[in-house]
Amino acid sequence: MSGRERLRHAAVPFAVSLLAVFLACLGGGLFLELRGKDALHAYQVLIERGLGNPGQRTETLKQMAPLLIISGGLAIALRAGVWNIGIDGQFFVGALLCGIVVPELAGDVPRAIVILIGAIAGLVGGLLWAVVPGILRVRWGLNEIITTLMMNYVALNVTSWLVKGPVRDPERVAPETKQIPLSDRLPDIPGTSVHIGLLAGLLVVVLVGVLFRSTVLGYMFTALGRNRRAAIHAGLPVGRLTLLALLLSGAFAGLAGANDVMGVQGRFSGNWHPEYGFTAFALVYLARLNPFAIIPFAFFFSFLMVGGQSMPRRADVPTYYIGMLEGLMLIFFAATVALERLWSRATRRAPEDAPLAIGAASAAAPVSAESDAGDGAVSAPQNTALSAGETR
Amino acid sequence: MRWQFGQTRSQAAERGEGAYPLPADAAHPSSVAASGAPIVEMRGITKRFGPVVANNHVDLTLREGEIHAVLGENGAGKTTLMNILSGMYQPDAGTILIRGRETKIATPADALRQGIGTVYQHFTLVPNLTVIENVALGAEPGFLLDLAAAERRLAQLLTDFELNASPHTEIRHLSLGQRQRVEIIKVLSRGSRVLLLDEPTSVLTPVEVEGLFAILRRLRANGVAVVLITHKLEEVLDVSDRVTILRQGRKIGEIGPEVISSGDRAAIRQRIVEMMFGGAPAEAPSASARASGAANGSTLLALQDVTALGDRGEVAVRGLSLELRAGEVFGIAGVDGNGQKELGEVIAGQRHVTRGRVILDGQDITNKGVAACSRLGIGYVTDDRLGEGCVPGMSVAENTVLKMVTRSPFSKGFWLNRGAIEAEARRLIGQFDVKTPSTATPITALSGGNIQKLLLARELAMNPRLLVCNKPTNGLDLKTAQFVLRTLREQADAGKAVLLISSELDELMQVSDRIGVIYNGQIVGIFERAAADLEAIGHLMLGGRERGVA
Repeated sequence: MSGRERLRHAAVPFAVSLLAVFLACLGGGLFLELRGKDALHAYQVLIERGLGNPGQRTETLKQMAPLLIISGGLAIALRAGVWNIGIDGQFFVGALLCGIVVPELAGDVPRAIVILIGAIAGLVGGLLWAVVPGILRVRWGLNEIITTLMMNYVALNVTSWLVKGPVRDPERVAPETKQIPLSDRLPDIPGTSVHIGLLAGLLVVVLVGVLFRSTVLGYMFTALGRNRRAAIHAGLPVGRLTLLALLLSGAFAGLAGANDVMGVQGRFSGNWHPEYGFTAFALVYLARLNPFAIIPFAFFFSFLMVGGQSMPRRADVPTYYIGMLEGLMLIFFAATVALERLWSRATRRAPEDAPLAIGAASAAAPVSAESDAGDGAVSAPQNTALSAGETR
Repeated sequence: MRWQFGQTRSQAAERGEGAYPLPADAAHPSSVAASGAPIVEMRGITKRFGPVVANNHVDLTLREGEIHAVLGENGAGKTTLMNILSGMYQPDAGTILIRGRETKIATPADALRQGIGTVYQHFTLVPNLTVIENVALGAEPGFLLDLAAAERRLAQLLTDFELNASPHTEIRHLSLGQRQRVEIIKVLSRGSRVLLLDEPTSVLTPVEVEGLFAILRRLRANGVAVVLITHKLEEVLDVSDRVTILRQGRKIGEIGPEVISSGDRAAIRQRIVEMMFGGAPAEAPSASARASGAANGSTLLALQDVTALGDRGEVAVRGLSLELRAGEVFGIAGVDGNGQKELGEVIAGQRHVTRGRVILDGQDITNKGVAACSRLGIGYVTDDRLGEGCVPGMSVAENTVLKMVTRSPFSKGFWLNRGAIEAEARRLIGQFDVKTPSTATPITALSGGNIQKLLLARELAMNPRLLVCNKPTNGLDLKTAQFVLRTLREQADAGKAVLLISSELDELMQVSDRIGVIYNGQIVGIFERAAADLEAIGHLMLGGRERGVA
């Protein structure tokens, strides 16, 4: 591939995602206008409160950390064709485990060790929460979409019960774990007031990028996600890969929980319900499962989350408007990907015998053979997720 | 005359008959000559895909009551031309006339409205709907689906096409031959006067091919223009009235009924081959060049009373026993769906054996799995190139090492060695003459023949002791098919064992040392090639009793 082709290869998907974002903002604005609000003013508030002053920018950067960590893990799962809908549950369990372990150690051991152990607690918590759906999927072919989703509710209630009872800080009335002393929280990046979670997030995303670019494991994940039958045919360890992808994404979700506990909250609280799962899905899809593209989109979503918090007061627009924007982005994303596919189909050389001709052939077409090259991002996980359970 | 085609839906509706132009008593003008009036004229059709000119000023005229074959190698532009006629693509230049009037065919649905129906190589039926539901799908007017009425209207077509299955059978229970008939019925029920068939025989058994041709001849008698896109020369000569040959996007020549019916098959065949390839095709390995002395080699693989289930849990391989010797090509002949695919998968370690043993060179490899079997020297080329053989969206180079990626030098521990992968891909592309713009090209941009070459190259690169090939020449042009067969023969001559599963007896006869016939999951007869008798094999394939053969 020539340099220019390579560039086009990378630029077109990115442009498609940006178009989706733009259309979503446009559509959302239209909705605001119909409700009699001043859309321009609302967006102005959003930008001001998200990026307007150094304090807001710091908040936005801090908020990036969990998004980056979760998205890095989610990209692994989706690339491998595994639908981990259980991000939120894994996040909670990781956060709680971290919130239990860290205060016990605080003060006795050096901060670096405390943080390291806290991070491991988060990883282990998230990983454990993915074990059950993983085994159900690999051993009995149960669809992980259902099991991971259900495990979210179990996590929510189990952590809530634990924090109200067994692990509650007895000195407090609210259902909370013990507080982590300020001296044992995540330190700031020198010269800024952003804690080092951001660096951890960037590191995760880069590692995932390297995983897919240069390692055998990443190659096998991609092959599995794009064509499960070919992976079986080639003798790849399909079961182990599926389990590993799920466990890794769970572990990273848990790590994000530890990040929030050690960097922002200082404790695990029963009233605390950040729901990153859906945001992460939107984010990873807009980034087209490309780990490096996750970084700018994580920044953007983080900005939306931070800026959106001020919208109710300043622009009389509820915070969940941001959730609506995310939903619109996914809808427009799906639409623009379809357009991109049409466009590339029209311009690409069509080889003889390639099953290009089948899909649209008839109203009765059952499943169009998915033969498109550049746009496996959306289709690959969908295809395989629907056919979970190939145990022979 | 049983059917009357040629009404559009609206005409039929005007007469209050619903959508189906079904048997009308009014006799259709049966005086349609063998070569009737032109229905479709394509003039100067040009279609480019980027730098590639897929069709270069191609003319094609389709006449009533004529079977017109369009022949050409992979990449000659056949499929593109048909996709233009079926409304899938728009031509860059040229015009299409339907009954003398210039027409634009915007979409496949538009083509259907104009009376041009297409039966694709890969069927477009819904597997878990019934025959009736599939045919009625999209054709029944109105919001509510009256299947009973549809069935009444379709009854005649279903009888006429000898489907031999209840119209309430779900498609997934039908054989491929039956599914193809349903496709044809579906297209005809919408009033098609032109029927395009893309590689219609590639999924059929010899008997089914005959059945299909009988149908096509009846359609011809009814004045339908039939277009066969194929590269199977013999079949074409059996049934066609007219042959158009494409090469590299251009129309090289046309042979009309006056020549075809002249009866000099050898001369016509010679002429067509010259037009298709611009010279004589690669020579087939001559039968005498193969000493069958190799067949005395030691036993390499033994299957003992093996039973395995198919994808739907049915018994696909039924207590099958078989011995393969080093140095031989063992052909498996059988009608599709008699357990040959599952047999191949069992040997490759890809399918679970529920009873019996698989022994490779004295070692029990039963249920060891694909990776272990592959390491022990078993190669398997699947018949499902796109669905199973390769990973769409990955490059040619990445697909080349799909089965070897964990081995040296393609990986060093945890890390991929992209340089070695690239080098290996280049080496195999060169050695097997795979036509691809680069190693970074997505695999799906290659033609079927080139993907097949790459899959074969990939297996041979691992230097297997035993190679299992399921229908390796399916859908390939003559030259590529011969190349593949020759390669298999060479492997056997080099002391390896080859199990060749095929539904084409000619190709089995050409390269095999022994031919085993599989029927209903069992080997029902084994023939030495020298003693093989096509008729006896065919008899066994269809479930006949063994007739005194070892």
